[in-house]
Amino acid sequence: MVAVARRSVLIGGAVGAGLLAAGCTAGGPSSPAPTTPARPDPLLAELADERRLVAGYDATIARHPALRARLTAVRDDHAAHAAALVTALGPAAPPSSTTPAATDSPGVSPTGSPTGSPTGSPTGSPTASPSTGIESSGGRTRVPATPPAAVAALRAAERAAASARGTAALTATPDRARLLAGISASEASHVAVLA
Amino acid sequence: MTAPAPTPTGPGTPTATPSPTPSGTGQVPALQAGLAAEHAVIWGYGVVGAHAGDALLPQVRDADDAHRTLRDDTVALVARYGGTPVATEPEYALPFPVTDRGSALRLAVHLEEGAAAAWRYAVAATDDVAVRRAALVALSDAAVRATRWRLALHTSPATVPFPGD
Repeated sequence: MVAVARRSVLIGGAVGAGLLAAGCTAGGPSSPAPTTPARPDPLLAELADERRLVAGYDATIARHPALRARLTAVRDDHAAHAAALVTALGPAAPPSSTTPAATDSPGVSPTGSPTGSPTGSPTGSPTASPSTGIESSGGRTRVPATPPAAVAALRAAERAAASARGTAALTATPDRARLLAGISASEASHVAVLA
Repeated sequence: MTAPAPTPTGPGTPTATPSPTPSGTGQVPALQAGLAAEHAVIWGYGVVGAHAGDALLPQVRDADDAHRTLRDDTVALVARYGGTPVATEPEYALPFPVTDRGSALRLAVHLEEGAAAAWRYAVAATDDVAVRRAALVALSDAAVRATRWRLALHTSPATVPFPGD
C-alpha cells in the first residue's frame, strides 16, 4: 500500500482514487494488501495529464483574461482529449473533477474505506506533473505573473505533453496508438499557435 | 518544422532504422499508405505554389521540401522492409477549384490534413516501433503545417483536437 500511496501522490489524487478503489476490489477488506497490485492502466496517467492541462489553461485564462481569445480553443482541444481518453478507458476512468482543487483531494471513498488506505492528501507539498511540467501546490496551478511568461509555460507544457503521448503511442494497442498519436499531433500544433 | 519530442528526428533526417530482422508486423502497408499520401501532397503543392502568391512562396517551398524529403525517406524504408514503393499518379483530382491565394491556402490545409490522416492510419497499422515513430513524426509535422496554414488563412480555431480524423 505504501507503493500505491506513493504513486497516487505522483500522479494526482483523482488517479489515486482509482488506484485505491482497484486495491479494494482486488484485495477485499479482510485480505492483506496484495504484494503485486495490478498495474494501473497506462492511459490513466495520460488522462490525468490532460486534465491538468485543462486546469492549467483555466487558471491561466483566469489570471490573464486578455489571453482568453488565444487560449480557449486550445483548452477545448485538451478537454476533447480527456473525453476521448475517458471513453477509451471505459469503466477504469476516474470521475472527472470539476475544479483543479478537486484533483488534490484525498482518494478515499465517502463511506470510509476499511482497507487502511492512506488518507494523507498530497495537498501541501508542491507537485509537478512529471510530463506536463505544470506546477501545482495545494490544488492550485501556479501561473506566471506576466502573459508572455504564462504562454511560455503553456508552450513548454504542450511540448512535454506531445512527447509523452507520442511515447505512449509507440507501444500501445492499435486503437490506443491511433488515439494517442492524434492527441500528440494536436499538442505539437498547439506549440505553433503559442509561438 | 517542429517535430514532437518522441524522437529528435525531423524532415531531412532518416525517419526510422529498421532492425535487420524486423520483429513487428504491418510495416510495408503502413508505409505505403503514407507514401501514397506524400505523392499526392507533393503534386498538390505544385498547385498551391502556382496560386499562393510571392509572399507565401518561401513557406510553400519549405513545406514542399519537407514532403519531398519524407517521400524519399519513405521510399527507402519501404524498400528496406522488402516492399515495392508505390508510384505517384500522373495527376490527382483537386477537391475544389484553386484560383487565388485563399483557395491555394485552403488546398494546403486540405493536403496536410490528408497527410495527417494517412500517417495516423499508419501509426495504428503496424506494431513496429521504428515505423510507428516515423509515422508519428510525419503526422505531427503535417498537423503543425496545417495549423500554420490555418493561421495564414486566419481560420479559427487553427488547431483540431484529433489531426487526421
